[in-house]
Amino acid sequence: MVKIATMNLNLKPKKFLIVEDLANMRKAIRELLYTLDVQHIVEVANGLNAITAMKKERFDVVLCDYNLGEGKNGQQVLEEARFRKLLPCSAIFIMVTAEQNQSMVLGAMESKPDEYLTKPFNGQQLLMRLERNQVKKEFFADIEQAIEAGNYSLAIQHCDNKLQEDNRKMHLHLQKIRAELAVNTGDFKKAESIYHEVLLARELSWARLGLGLIAYLQSDYESATEVFQQLIDSQPMMLEAYDWLAKAHEASGDYLTAQAALDKATKISPQAILRHKKLAALADKTGHLEIAEKAYLSAVNLGKNSVHKSSGDFSGLAKIYSKTNNSAAALSTLKDMRKQYINDPEAELRAAALETEVYQQIGDEELSEQAYRTAQDLCEKLGDNIPNDLRMDVIKAHYLKGNDESANAILDQLIKNNIDDEHFIGDVKTMLGSIGSEHHADALIAPIKQALIEINNKGVDLFKRGKLLEAMRVFEEAAEIMPENKTIMINMIKILIYDLKKSGFNQHKLARAQALIKKAAKYGVNADKIGNMLMQLEKMSAVNESKV
Amino acid sequence: MSTSPINNFPTILAASIHDIKNSLSTVCELIGQLAKLDGAAETPEFRQLEFEASRMNNSLMQLLILYKIDSALFCPVIDEYQVKDILDDVVAQQRGLMALGGIGLTVEYADDLYCYCDSGLINTVLISIIDNAHRYCRKTIVLSAYQSGDSVCFQVEDDGEGYPAELIADLSHPVANGPGNTGLGLFFAATIAGFHSNGAKNGRVRIDNDSRFKGARFRLFLP
Repeated sequence: MVKIATMNLNLKPKKFLIVEDLANMRKAIRELLYTLDVQHIVEVANGLNAITAMKKERFDVVLCDYNLGEGKNGQQVLEEARFRKLLPCSAIFIMVTAEQNQSMVLGAMESKPDEYLTKPFNGQQLLMRLERNQVKKEFFADIEQAIEAGNYSLAIQHCDNKLQEDNRKMHLHLQKIRAELAVNTGDFKKAESIYHEVLLARELSWARLGLGLIAYLQSDYESATEVFQQLIDSQPMMLEAYDWLAKAHEASGDYLTAQAALDKATKISPQAILRHKKLAALADKTGHLEIAEKAYLSAVNLGKNSVHKSSGDFSGLAKIYSKTNNSAAALSTLKDMRKQYINDPEAELRAAALETEVYQQIGDEELSEQAYRTAQDLCEKLGDNIPNDLRMDVIKAHYLKGNDESANAILDQLIKNNIDDEHFIGDVKTMLGSIGSEHHADALIAPIKQALIEINNKGVDLFKRGKLLEAMRVFEEAAEIMPENKTIMINMIKILIYDLKKSGFNQHKLARAQALIKKAAKYGVNADKIGNMLMQLEKMSAVNESKV
Repeated sequence: MSTSPINNFPTILAASIHDIKNSLSTVCELIGQLAKLDGAAETPEFRQLEFEASRMNNSLMQLLILYKIDSALFCPVIDEYQVKDILDDVVAQQRGLMALGGIGLTVEYADDLYCYCDSGLINTVLISIIDNAHRYCRKTIVLSAYQSGDSVCFQVEDDGEGYPAELIADLSHPVANGPGNTGLGLFFAATIAGFHSNGAKNGRVRIDNDSRFKGARFRLFLP
């Protein structure tokens, strides 16, 4: 067991990175670190250099000021470092802020630092924080490593063992991690009982949020919205609750209320780029083009310093301008995008597909035709690597140019792959509606839906009668036609797992199941389902290893 | 509507505070460096400098939090903390200050004492109360924490003259109309206590002159 008593932390071998824009402050922090016996210090004056430094070497401690003047702020540095995996599990990231109680507002959607430290601070204060974090990191290291490696059953085992040690100081945090692991492996009963236990002692927002999340994942959107709304009522600054409230409303088809929740959250904390993206897409859907324009603009601006920068935000903004017949603004937005994404075929395709439409709008057939040809070339080049939203732009361009054959071919594939995603099918209908082909949509969608239902019924029926091979073959054939369809992927994985459990370990089947799970995760199957399937596989391979 | 050209006061306030705090940090560090030069650290003037810088910093912090409360931009982040960690932080922060005038700051707590609170806010409260005690005590300040019924009590006692009677009378009423005679630090403490509730129970502040050392006693109860 790890001892919690204050240990004497030896900082000599530790590598420190100071991120601070003011030379005086950098010097002050450096001097302070010297008094703590720190020997390896790298200093940088801005976020960009911080990322470069972290790419070059692995730091044990990062002291990063939130306010870095021009360029990336501290939160953006943290997000990028985590996203690019520049920080090992054991590293301590300390966000240095000017004011207390900023954590909520700064806490963007997923990245949180290990510690906030308010300045000015002295050596003793820093040393104590480092020691505390070090003890905590060491205590949770095996769990974190197992999670990082995607081995949930091992993480749960470590967690359960530690819970039995009855370490008062770590107990609550262990419960939190255990509940999250339960959620991520679809064990909602376990998660729920932990959250209830915590809430019995104290009304803590993360536990309440967890209950809402469980309701959400079980598609009980009414209970979920109720929980999230209550949290917001009592904690109006809790941004996570707004994000989940929006998700729950969106899932139940109430796009307007979802939009309102995100709109409010972006006003409280205008820095979180992912939230702006989400809001932009929603407002576009509900036809609130002014809100969409503003949100896309924010996403584009924040993108300059963010790892979440994407060409899709530029084309999204251009589409809004095109919808409001502001062709000049649409074209100049696309021009800006090209400047920022040189030699990026996806960005070029986004631009070309939209230019086809916009030039046609303003009656410049020649430029429209030219853009269309560029788009076709790029489609060829990109092949299957085109995101769904961009495929829709391409389809639209084909239709506008009267090339129904190409449009239908892509559309048919797109619908087949996503037939079980109600919201996406809704987007397809809206797109077809915008070019006056609503009926075409229904004619395309209905038979595919029917076919999927039939395949599913047939496969499930065979499975129930124990004919695993035949069931598998049905889904395999279906996967040929709709390779990205999630329902089919999940069914195949379920059959493989059942087969493995029943007829014993088989390396080939295991590998196949693992590959399918990876694919399902890539195409957006919910994390709890993925986690649950992974865990079942891990248990089997663990049993097998112990036999050897 | 106001015709003021300033339409984004919160940003201006936050930016100004950020600026001032940067300067303060530099000042603190420079004091430290100068002190190292020729053992000047022990002179009262240096300690006074450090003390004043720390006070300014804490006042700024209070100002910002009160401003946020006033504009409904405020929300405490409650979690469970080991009381030891909270008190250790306070002592670390006040380390330099206590050498000033040879005042002893001692802490008393049980290792297994835990409480639910926003630790940053409680830190700001305690620092401010200790700063104040420092000003009025003779030699001794004791910071302690203990379980009191279903609350945890944080207590600051000193050996000074004690609180004036009217201040004690004033704070026994709920603080409704701003600092008045209560002093900013006490007003802030009472306000923050009010944000720490557990079910129907609210956090509260009590002041009296029943210190074990014959001076002032401040108590913050967190349910």
